[in-house]
Parts: sequence; C-alpha cells; structure tokens
Amino acid sequence: MAGALKLPSAFAITPHKVSLCILVQIYASPSQVSVPFPFSSVSQHNRLGLYLLALTKSCDDILEPKLDQLISQLREIGGLLDHWLTDHLTSRLSSLSSPDDLFNFFNDMRGILGGPDSGVMEDDQVILDPNSNLGMFLRRCILAFNLLTFEGICHLLTNIGIYCKEAISSCSSYELRRLDDSGNDLESLSEYENMDLNLVFKKINEEMEARKRATEQVSFHLHLPKELSTLVEDIEVFADPKSEHNDKGRESSSYASSGDLLRDFDPNGGVFLRTNWQIQGYLTEQADAIEKHGSSFTLNAFELTLRQLQKLAPELHRVHFLRYLNSLYHDDYFSALENLHRYFDYSAGIEGFDFVPPTGCNSFGRYEIALLCLGMMHFHFGHPKQALEVLTEAVRVSQQHSNDTCLAYTLAAISNLLSEIGFSTTSGILGSPFSPMTSVGTSLSVQQQLFVLLKGSLKRAESLKLKQLVAANHLSMAKFDLTHVQRPLLSFGPKASMKLRTCPISVCKELRLGYHLISEFCCEGSTMTTDGAFSTAWLKNLQKPMGSLVLSQDNSSRNNSNPFLFCTQPSSIPGSVLQLVGSSYLHRATAWEIYGSAPLARVNALVYATCFADASSSSDAALVYVKLVQHLAVFKGYKEAFAALKIAEEKFLCVSKSWILILKLQLLHERALHRGHLKLAQQVCDELGVLASSVTAVDMDLKTEASLRHARTLLAAKQFSQAAAVAHSLFCMCYKFNLQVESASVLLLLAEIHMKSGNAVVGLPYALASLSYCQSFNLDLLRASATLTLAELWLSLGSNHTKTALSLIHGAFPMILGHGGLELSGRAYITEAKCYLSDPNFSVSDNPEVVLDPLRQASDELQALEYHELAAEAFYLMAIVFDKLGQLEKREEAAASFKNHIVALENSQNVEDLLLSV
Amino acid sequence: MSSKESCRNELRTAIRQLSDRCLYSASKWAAEQLVGIEQDPAKFTPSNTRFQRGSSSIRRRFRTNEITSTPPTGVAYVSTPVMEEDEVIHGDFYLLAKSYFDCREYRRAAHVLRDQTGKKSVFLRCYALYLAGEKRKEEEMIELEGPLGKSDTVNRELVSLERELSTLCKNNMIDPFGLYLYGLVLKEKGNENLARKVLVESVNSYPWNWSAWSELQSLCTTVDLLNSLNLSNHWMKEFFLASVYQELRMHNESLVKYENLQGNFTFSNYIQAQIAKARYSLREFEQVEVIFEDLLRNDPYRVEDMDTYSNVLYTKECFSALSYLAHRVIMTDKYRPESCCIIGNYYSLKGQHEKSVMYFRRALKLNKNYLSAWTLMGHEYVEMKNTPAAVDAYRRAVDINPRDYRAWYGLGQAYEMMGMPHYALHYFRKSVFFQPIDSRLWIAMAQCYESEQLHMLEEAIKCYKRAANCNDTEAIALHRLAKLHRELGHPEEAAFYYKKDLERMEAEEREGPNIVEALMFLATHYKAQKRFEEAEVYCTRLLDYTGPERETAKNLLRGMRIAQSSFPSMDVEHFHP
Repeated sequence: MAGALKLPSAFAITPHKVSLCILVQIYASPSQVSVPFPFSSVSQHNRLGLYLLALTKSCDDILEPKLDQLISQLREIGGLLDHWLTDHLTSRLSSLSSPDDLFNFFNDMRGILGGPDSGVMEDDQVILDPNSNLGMFLRRCILAFNLLTFEGICHLLTNIGIYCKEAISSCSSYELRRLDDSGNDLESLSEYENMDLNLVFKKINEEMEARKRATEQVSFHLHLPKELSTLVEDIEVFADPKSEHNDKGRESSSYASSGDLLRDFDPNGGVFLRTNWQIQGYLTEQADAIEKHGSSFTLNAFELTLRQLQKLAPELHRVHFLRYLNSLYHDDYFSALENLHRYFDYSAGIEGFDFVPPTGCNSFGRYEIALLCLGMMHFHFGHPKQALEVLTEAVRVSQQHSNDTCLAYTLAAISNLLSEIGFSTTSGILGSPFSPMTSVGTSLSVQQQLFVLLKGSLKRAESLKLKQLVAANHLSMAKFDLTHVQRPLLSFGPKASMKLRTCPISVCKELRLGYHLISEFCCEGSTMTTDGAFSTAWLKNLQKPMGSLVLSQDNSSRNNSNPFLFCTQPSSIPGSVLQLVGSSYLHRATAWEIYGSAPLARVNALVYATCFADASSSSDAALVYVKLVQHLAVFKGYKEAFAALKIAEEKFLCVSKSWILILKLQLLHERALHRGHLKLAQQVCDELGVLASSVTAVDMDLKTEASLRHARTLLAAKQFSQAAAVAHSLFCMCYKFNLQVESASVLLLLAEIHMKSGNAVVGLPYALASLSYCQSFNLDLLRASATLTLAELWLSLGSNHTKTALSLIHGAFPMILGHGGLELSGRAYITEAKCYLSDPNFSVSDNPEVVLDPLRQASDELQALEYHELAAEAFYLMAIVFDKLGQLEKREEAAASFKNHIVALENSQNVEDLLLSV
Repeated sequence: MSSKESCRNELRTAIRQLSDRCLYSASKWAAEQLVGIEQDPAKFTPSNTRFQRGSSSIRRRFRTNEITSTPPTGVAYVSTPVMEEDEVIHGDFYLLAKSYFDCREYRRAAHVLRDQTGKKSVFLRCYALYLAGEKRKEEEMIELEGPLGKSDTVNRELVSLERELSTLCKNNMIDPFGLYLYGLVLKEKGNENLARKVLVESVNSYPWNWSAWSELQSLCTTVDLLNSLNLSNHWMKEFFLASVYQELRMHNESLVKYENLQGNFTFSNYIQAQIAKARYSLREFEQVEVIFEDLLRNDPYRVEDMDTYSNVLYTKECFSALSYLAHRVIMTDKYRPESCCIIGNYYSLKGQHEKSVMYFRRALKLNKNYLSAWTLMGHEYVEMKNTPAAVDAYRRAVDINPRDYRAWYGLGQAYEMMGMPHYALHYFRKSVFFQPIDSRLWIAMAQCYESEQLHMLEEAIKCYKRAANCNDTEAIALHRLAKLHRELGHPEEAAFYYKKDLERMEAEEREGPNIVEALMFLATHYKAQKRFEEAEVYCTRLLDYTGPERETAKNLLRGMRIAQSSFPSMDVEHFHP
C-alpha cells in the first residue's frame, strides 16, 4: 500500500558480507611489505581487489551467492591462491561460534581501516582508506553490526552456521572437481618459470595438509547418524528458498532452448541475481525476451521462477506484471487479466514504467496506465470493441489527471487499433472524449477519424519529446498514407486542389522521419542505458577479463556463454529503438511490395533480416523470412521457395497461426493451382480460411486473402458463376471495411473471371475500374498486370483490336519485365505472341523471331513454375509457328512438350488423389 | 434427555483428557459446550443453575422457527472416551513436563519427556516442540523483516516432527491426538491432502477435539472438498458442518444446523455467537444486536467475535455503545486483533480516520491475515480519499481470501471514484460472482453501467433486475428499473416496474416523490392504453398530493371522462353482449 510501503531497509549484515569482510581483511592485512603475505605478485593482489570491488558494489542483495558459489568464484580469481583463500575463509567462518566471536571479529575489522586523515601511505603499508569503496563497505558493515540488536546477532550467527553447512553439503561434488583442479595447477606450473617453484610447492603441500584437515572436519560432519544428516538437509531446503531457486533456474534453463537469459541462475556461471535494481533489470530483460519470443517462451518454467521471486520479495510488484506478460503471450486470458489487475492494484502504476517522467507524482496514482495496458491486452486478445471502450476511458482519465504522456500513448494505441482492425463504423464508440480532437463532428468516416487521431497523437508526442512514440507514430502515419487516399476533411468550403491519389513521397518522408530516431539515440549516448539490465550485464562482463586470465578447466561452458555475453554487451542503442528502426525497414519492404518494386522490397527485407534480427521479435523476423521466401517463389519457382521454407521452419517455431504456417499454405495453394491439383488447392484454401477466423479474433487481411484464393480456385475449376459470386461478395466486404488496395486485386480477378467465362465485354469495366484503383494507390505492378488483363480482354474481342492490345502490352512491358514474377511475364509473352499471330497483317514467315522469342521465354519461365496450363499453351503456339515455317523437327519437339504438359495436367487428378491419400 | 446426559458425560471425560494433554483451547471449547447443555430443572437447585441465565425471553424473541424436538444427530458410535494411561513412574515425568508446559517452558517440557515412549508422553513432547517452534517463529517474524517484506520464517521443528509422526503413523503407534498434531504439521508444510486425511482419521476416532475439527475446517475451502470427506456420525460433526457452512457462505444451512444444536446446547455462548455471525452475514442486524447484548450480559469479558458486534454497532451508528464496547475490550485484553479492530471501528464512526487506520494497522500487526481489518482499512482510506492506499489494502484482503466479496466491491468502488467505471466493472463482476445474493453489489454494478461515461443501459437493466430479485431492502432497483425502461421507451416494462415499486412502497408505508412519479406515469400510461378504469384509480390517488401533479391528474381525469362519454355505446356492446 502506498502508505505502508516499506523503504528498503538500510544495510543488513549477512553471512555473505561477513565473508566479504574476511576477504577484505586478507586483501588489506596490515603488513610491512608491498605485497602482503599470501600473495605472490602484485597482479594477484590486484585481481582480488578488483573482485572484491565488484562484489561490494552489488551488496544490496536480495539473493546472495552461497558460500560454495563464492568459493568457486574465488577459485577463478585466486589462481594458485585459491586453496589458501578458501581454507582461510571457511576456517575463519567456522571459528565464529558465539556472539562474542562476532564482536571481536568486527573489532578486528576496525583495525584494518586507516585513520581519517591517513591519506598518504606510510611505509608501503597497505591500509584501507576509509573513504575508498572497500573502506566504505567495511565501515557500513561495522556500523550495521553495531546497530544490530542482540537477537539480530543471534540470527546472524545461525545464518552463518547454515551458510557454512550448505557449502559442506555440496562439498562432495566440489571436492572431486577440486582434485582435478589441483592437477591442472601442477601442470600449468611449468609455464611460469619465473616463479619460485620451491615456495609454491611448499605452499601447495601446506594447502594439501590444510585441506586434509578440512576434509576431516567435513567427514566428521558426514559421520553423523544418517537420520540427523538428512534432517540437516531437509532443514536447509526448507529454510533456504535460494537453493530451490537455483534448482528451478537450472531446470528452466534446460527447458528453454532459446531462453539463454535464464542462465542467470546457473551456479557455475557465477552470475547471480543481486540488487533490487538488478532484479528489476532482470525482469526487464525477461519482459523483452517474452515479447521477442512470443509463445515459444517457456510458460511454466518462468512462472516458477516468478513465483519464487515473489516469495522472496513480496513487495516487488513488478513480478506480477511479468506474470501478466507471460500469460498474455501464452494466450491465457483469465490469468492475464487477473495479474494485470493485481499489478496495478499494488503498484498504482507508479512503479515500473521508467520512461514516464516522474514529474506530477500526485497521490492519485497513475491508474490511467492500467487502463492503457488493459486496452492493449484486449487488443491482443482480439476484443476490439472492449479495447476501444477501455482506451476511451484511458483517454478520459489521463485528461483528468493531465498525464499527457499517457494520453499520447493511448492515442497512438487507439489509432493502431483502428488501423489494424477493420471497423465499419465507430459511431457510438468514439464518443464525447474525442470531441477536442474530432471537433469537426462525428460525421467523419473511420478513416478520417483515424487520420485526425494520428495527427493529434503525433503532435502530442512531438511536443512531449517522446522520441520512440514519435517514431512509432511516423511509422503508422506511413502505413496510413500507403493505403489511404487523402481527402479533404471538410465537405464544404473552398476545396484545395487535391489529387485523388496516395502519395508515395509522403510515405517515404514518414519512414525517413521514423528512422531519425536511431541517430538521436546515437548522439545521446548512455542516458538510456542506466537501467538495471545494464547493471546485470556489467557484472557479467566484469568476470570476463578476470576469467580469461585464469586457465580454468571448464573452458567449454565459458565458450558457450561467450556469445551470450557478447549479445548483451550494453550497446548505446536500446533494444526497443532498434526494434522500431527495424520495423521501419519492414514497412519499407511492404511499401515497395505494394508499389510494385520487387528488388527494393527484397533489399529492405534483407537489410532487416541481417541487421535487426537480434532485436526484433520473433514474429517480425518470421515475417521478413516470409517476404523473402515469397519473393523466391515468384521469381525462382517453387523448388527454391520450398527449400528456403524448410530453413525458415527450422528457425522459427511453427506454432498455430504463425507467419510460417500461413506462408506454407500460400505456397502450397499456388503450386497446386499451377499444377492443376484443384482439390488440394481447395483444401489448403479452406485451412487458410480457418486460420483467418480463429477463436481469438478475425484477421481481416487473412480473411480477404483466403476468399480471394477461394475465388481463384473456383476459377481454375471453371466454376465461373460461383467464382464470380465469391469475388463479388469479397468486393463488398472490402468496400465496407475500406480495404481499397485489396479491392483493386478483387476487381482484377473479376475481370479475369469474366474473360475466362467468355464475357469479355462484361470484364472490361472491371479491368478499367481496377486500373483506376491501381492508379490512385500507385500500385504499379498490379497496374501492369491489370493492363495485361485489359490487353487480353481486347484481344478476345476480336482480331481488329490487336493493335490496341499490343500497344497496351508494350506499355506495360517495362514494369512487367523489371518487377514482375515468372507467371506475369510468361503471360505477357504469350499474349504478345498471340497478338502478333492473330493480327491478319502479320506473317510469320517474314519475321519468325518476333513470335518465337517471346514464346521461348514464356515456356522457360512457365516450366520453372510448373504452370502446366499456360506452358502447354506456349508450346502449342510454338508448334503452330514451326508448322507454318515448315520446321517439322522443331514442330514435333514443341508438340511433344505440349503433350507432356497436357498429360501432366490430366494426370494431376490421379496424382492429387495420391497426394490427398497421403 | 438421555442424549443430553450422554453428551455431558462424554464432554466431562473429554475435558479432562484434553487438558491433561495441554490442548487447552479444545478443552475450553468443550467446557463451554458442557455448561451450555440445559440442566434438568427437576434435579438441580437454583444455585446449580446459576449459569443458566434466565434470559431466554430475549433470546427467543426472534426465533420464529422454534425447534421442538432434538434433532436426530445420528448414533454416536464412540460413546465415552477412554484413553489408556501411561505407567505411574513415567507419570511423574509427565507431571513435571506438564507443569513446565503450563508455565510456557515448552523446550524444557519436551526435554523432560525425551526418553518416554508412552503415547501420551510422545504427544506432549511433540506438541511442546511444535509450540516452541511456533513461538520462535513468531519472534523471528518480527525480528527479521526484510527490505522487501520478505519473511520466510518457518517453524524449524516441523521437519523433525513430521518425520517422527509419520513413522509413528506408519507403525500404527499413534493416538488421535498424535494424528491431530500430525495433521497440523502437514498443513503447515503445505501437504493439504494428506493433512485432511489424517485429520479426518483423528476426528473419527476422537471426535471431542474441537481443535482438530477447526483445522479440518480451514482445509475445506470448497463444497466438493467437504463432500469428499469420510466422516463418521457424531454430534460433534454437526458443530463442524455448521462452522464449515458458515465459512463457505452457506449461511442459511449453517443457521439451521446451529439452531438444531441449540436444542441440546441451549446455553452455549459459542453457538449463540456463531448464530449472531451467521445472521450478521444475512444482514439481520437487529437480531444480531440483541444476541450480542445477551451474550455480553452473560459473558462480559468475552473478546472473541466482538468485532462482529462492533460492526453491527457501527452500521447502526450507536456511538456510545460502541465506545463502551471498545472500553470494555481494551480493559480485558488490549493486544487482541479484535480489540484493535473495535477501536478502529469506533474512530471510523467518529470520522477520525487517521486514528482508525492506526488501530487497524495495529490489528494487522497482530495478525497479518486478519481479513476484515484489511477490508475495513480500505474503507477508511476511501473515506480519507487516499484511493491508492485503499486499493492496496483491498487487494491484500483479496489475495488473502479471493472469496471476500466486500473487498472486491471496495476495489470496484475505489476505481469508480477515480472515474474509471469500465475498469471498476471487472471488480464488481468479481464481487457479484462470489456473492450473487447481495442486492447492493448488483446495484453498484448497475450504477457503474449507468454512469455517463459508459451509458450501457441495457446492461444496467440486467443488473437491476438481479438486484430486485434478491431482496433489495432499500428499494432502489425497482425504481431505477422503471425509470430506465421509461427512458429507453419500453412503456410496458416501465409500467410493470412502477406498479411493483408502488406496491412495495405501499406495503412499507413509505412516502416521497417516487410515489408521485409512479402514479403519474401509470395514470398517463393507462390512459394512453385506453384502460381508463385503472388510469382513473391512479389519477384519483394523485389528487391526494399537492403540487403540479395534482393539476395534471385533474386534467387527465377530465380528458378521460370526455373520451369515455363519447364512446359509451362501444363499451356496452363489448362488455355486455
């Protein structure tokens, strides 16, 4: 509760800190030589110092390393000294058996601190400066000890007992490793020839003896009656959730193939959760990981970890938020809802959202953020209406509390919602609170409202200097510009001269503005990186230089973790920024795809896949792969596309409704259509339709695509009237939900249907309408293909229209050859040849190559595509031409190829039955 | 009568055995019930029946469904508890150990019994160890409050106790008391299923140990769990069932059980208090107050359950009675959560919310899981307009017991106060889910839907309907229903609810603008429907009131007369063929 929130208590003394004090004492023992007793070199001494510094910096622990973990770290640091160090540490710890020992211990500690004015070193003596880091730490420890009540001292004593016992219980395995270790040490000795070997050997002997003594001690403990020893173990497990925690962590890391981050718990890695700050950082990292990996992130393992964390730190409410995220990405609606509410009930929205400047930190809490999150959750689960209601409330509440930041984010969320999910009407939903924005009245269409909203939220974000939001807004603005024709908002008054076209330049401008974000963050440098994630990374990296000095035996594990460390190097650009910038490339790729420039689309997709794959979420990365594979399919044929698909499938988990699955279905459908496997095509198409309306929400894009494919399948099966009906209803839907880009292709399909059914005259207006759509949305490639269809229509109207058809085709050729796929150019070539052939003024014998060349091209391309029907047509035409030319041999060749394709098409029935039965 | 006599004998023996094993609260409970059994007036002189206060007149004032015969409680197959006693020599050690135990020197007591093998000694040793661990745990909990509220202190004896008791249990060397302790340990360790099984075994072989029953009760969180228990018939089972029903919010069932039990245990303070609590949950405050007054007269130093009494006094705004109660409990025992809660209630009633919060907080310090204190503190924070703190307090209550509908309701209210009706709906939904029979919750939810931000009137109507169906004492729902229907242009429904509302107001002899409104609507409605007779009735009733409506009614009447006179023949033709 806000009132009863406990401040993080000052500085509690723990067994771990006592061992640190012991180590500090070793480090700074008052001796007269420059290198104190146990150390053989200055660098060794310094290494320990560095290590101690690192440890003391992370002393506000929630979880502290246990003794055996500390010892294993010491082994890496101390090198040859480790045995001496650990033995000294353990013996010193176990000598603390009564409260008075503790009193004396801390009195001794005072001795190694220098006086307040001993800034200068006297006689090379090592004295801790009380104002140095270690000195401060020591002073804090001493102070904390002096503040302890007697009960507190008793607790410290029992805790030290447990702390030591734990180390002993894990000793058996440790001993083994340690023995190996000493062997290694002996071998490595030969490398250091400048060392005083005798001294070292002597020391080693001493150590061995000491260790024997220690093991004797240990074995004494182990000889306890069995019952008692198990009892001890039980108590440990019970009294110390840390050990459980570690186990859980280890378990989960073995589950999580991709969840490397869970390595944090790996005891051998020697990296542990530390400060409150670092826990926050850990949680942030995990949140990113969840968002990145989506549903492939392990649900239960992480849930267990979180539960443990919650047990350890009940006041750390962000754990609830992580639980929310976890269940959100695993589509557990109820648990997500429950955890979201719980998180905001406890935190009042004040905790956690670091990027909100804590200016107006009023006592009301920031529950509008709760609303924002709830709205996003409903959006995620596909409840657009509820999402809109909640977000509306969020707008109102943030206006009330004048939380402009939240308002800007909420508006962005609403515009995102509106653009993602097709609303046919928003009347009654977007009500009064929007009146300041939509002052023009409610007569606006959804698109106009969306435009106003986008503008408003962009302006707001700019004035609040929320850079990421600005970038995101630019992106969605670009998306809007891409698919919407700007119309004047007012239906009266002097009309500005406005072309009814989309404006590619403005799309580019918006995308470029979004891209500015990265340069801004580059200039700013480290201001954003001062979060907890950085501090965990810092601790990980700290180990590296030291670890590399020591040739440790577990090289393999180190190698494994190295790339991981590399990835989490604190770069100056935060991951979310990278993600945004990356998505601007994704937008570019899509934009070029729509505008019809295949090479540019491919280049952008490739840039994304190579540069931003690490920062992107798995679904975005999958989307890029999908685009690349689609590109392959269109330009290189199915063989290569399926090979690439296989790679993508291995890379991404093929869960339900993932991009990869959809892509697979798309490819299968197209190939089936081309090969003439109509039943299979229909089946695949139906599956796609099922994916489109899943339980969670209806995906409008997918739904349109599914019915478009349905119509195409019907067309291929020559069910013209049915195909026309499906296409017609699809067009109605597109019109209703303002899917104008899709409308263009539906119209084109209608034109084709009518052409194939022999009603070229009926088809003409559709083709023309499609052309005009393409023009106003700058869909150049689609326009080229519409032109081609138009030419085909003219051609089928009779031989006196061949001139028109031919000029149309020639006009479209640059676009088709530059950017069109195999199918399109094949079709264009065939049509061109047909035009020449049907022209009564044209004689084959005069100029055979004019016809033969395009036919050859077409047949090559269509064979690559396995498009039997069109390929057969090309060969047929070729055979006729050769026949006319009198080249009988070549005629037979073409005829044979023609026959092959026809047979393949006819056999497709049988093959298909086989396929279906498999 | 014989059943009473046998009960008495059973209890007498049980009390001796229980207190011999230092199970004091169970023996206290048993003794209370023993004295609660009605004596045979023929056998006893008035001095003997001193305890049997003659206040039955008050007590029975509200008992409409008087139970005439003692209920069939099933055949008690365990008649008189006879436990084997340990040998005399060991008995000496036992006596020493028990004395130590009585002086709260638990470890010493356990040490004395370290080599004893008799079942009784083993039990006492284990029990002493358990209590020693508990005591240490409590102390540590205060000593070790971590920076993030972490308190992972546990009873350190649990592990060894569990091991020992499970071996004993396996070798069948354990008596019902040992089983009780075993169940307790298992429950603390989180092994609830086994704990339930062991406790059932314990109460089946020795039913008079109320502590065992109450542990079992705390493990029965759902009806299904309750039904899955295999309990033998005994009159103690009735007590158990009554208490479980109460926890499971089956108040009426619980009340029936308790009233049945009152047939035998007429003067039991315990039963009386439980009945009061059940009635409190059913919101029968008048009766609860009477019961508690009676209870306090007989047992003036009682602190248990007095927080419920203070809640009643609070809702009835009895300042002086509440302060008197607070004074009394604080003189009796200051450091009881109930006492702090009562004082908190008093300050809350006085409008001194800061002080009130302080006392609730103290209560929570004494018992961190004191549910009603969290909720009440939430109410205080709401009063202080500190909504985040209120939300936090409520949320803690809900996390302790997710079925606490009051806290869910409080959460909803807090969010509604902050102008987030849509967000609040989630909480109201939760609250009505757990308590679907409380009209106030439904009304709150309906008002939420009705708020100008949401304006979801259809949903509001649904909620008001539910409210009207569950005994809406303040009669808000009917009126709102009528009004909403009128606004939405459903005259038929509006007329239906206005009529109902009118009937209700007549029955309760209420006056006010609502009556005029209802009459007015009905009159115009029936006139429009051409049902002139009904319309006339309402119009004439309107004439009794002053104000502009009276004039309108006159006009209406006049209009109707004209209309009727112009078509008299039609009526005749239709109705008198």
